[in-house]
Amino acid sequence: MPTQNTRDRRAGAARRATAAREAAQRAQRRRRMQTVAVVAALVLLVAGGIAVQAARSTSDGPKGVPAGAVDETGFAVGAADAPVTVELYEDFLCPACGRFEQEAGNELHHMAAEGTVRVVYRPMAFLDGYSTTRYSTRALNAVACAADEDRFAEMHDQLFLAQPPEGGPGLSDDRLISLGAKAGAGGDAFEQCVRDLRYERWTEQATDAASKAGVVATPTVLVDGERLPEPSLEALRAAIESAGG
Amino acid sequence: MPPPERWAPWAALAARLVLGSVFVVAGALKLPDPAGSVRAVRAYQLLPEAVVPAVGYGLPVLEVAVGLMLVLGVAVRLSAVVSAVLLVIFLAGVVSAWARGLTIDCGCFGGGGTVAAGQTRYGSEVARDVGLLVLALGLARWPDSALALSPHTRPTEEDHAYAEHT
Repeated sequence: MPTQNTRDRRAGAARRATAAREAAQRAQRRRRMQTVAVVAALVLLVAGGIAVQAARSTSDGPKGVPAGAVDETGFAVGAADAPVTVELYEDFLCPACGRFEQEAGNELHHMAAEGTVRVVYRPMAFLDGYSTTRYSTRALNAVACAADEDRFAEMHDQLFLAQPPEGGPGLSDDRLISLGAKAGAGGDAFEQCVRDLRYERWTEQATDAASKAGVVATPTVLVDGERLPEPSLEALRAAIESAGG
Repeated sequence: MPPPERWAPWAALAARLVLGSVFVVAGALKLPDPAGSVRAVRAYQLLPEAVVPAVGYGLPVLEVAVGLMLVLGVAVRLSAVVSAVLLVIFLAGVVSAWARGLTIDCGCFGGGGTVAAGQTRYGSEVARDVGLLVLALGLARWPDSALALSPHTRPTEEDHAYAEHT
């Protein structure tokens, strides 16, 4: 038979145990609520972030497509019924594109003039992070401005001849305008178009279209839709020949 | 669990700072170029086009948020788990791009996921992500760290004291 004293002690221990259990449960509930609150805050933050970033991803300049563009983002050189079509995705700041143009540019012009190939240039601007002045976008805009004066190919060549290195400021607007003049696209309208980034929205559209076409590196060269694994003059000639050009 | 060593909270702090600052930097570098971030996601050719933009826009925000939580020490275990999940996803993406022979940059620190042919760096990208994943898992297991702002995410000393009575 336990004494009164022992009974009291046991009852007290049981009460304390219950209190401790409840406190531990309360603490656990509190931690769970904190976790839920933090997760909810994160979800809200990310949802808001998606909306903000989506709004920021397109500039608010005027819409519009430069004159003579095919599928809105390409510029064709050569006869439409030429036996072989070469598509060329390039960024005007991309050094590998500069080398490819040096190597194969003239030959492509030549084959287009002969009627062997139709070249569709698909310039894009995805290297804005590699200059301090968003040169990729400004150069692409300038070539679109030249297209309005029917001088796409000439301006394209001028831009590659004068290609600035990555990591610097690129070419100034003044320089782009003087290159335009060399390409035969002088005049106030061209100058305004370059300075105002008239085709900024279109440059985004062109770059987006290239991305959706699976282009992840430049130059990307397609001969009748087949991508050259390693773009070079040799590979280009071989592919054109086997495509029947 | 044995009582933590005296240096353990400081090791956890170091892990928080390394992991957190990598996430903050990775996210912050992508925030200025949302369109490039979308292109980087698309370059993996893994997600349907319908969700590509949302991932491209949202991921950098999540990275910065989780990184800041780790650096400040807010909900350390939760942020460690979220960062571990992200790292596993990144690893799967990079390994799958590597296996499929894609010529892409991971886009981990911005850059639009593009790279010149023959300049992929899949090996070092995988090694870095594995190292970070080890830190994240370690933090998820032992989140108690020095100089943390937030409430503890595992039982506190008080809870242990109560628990020992029962």
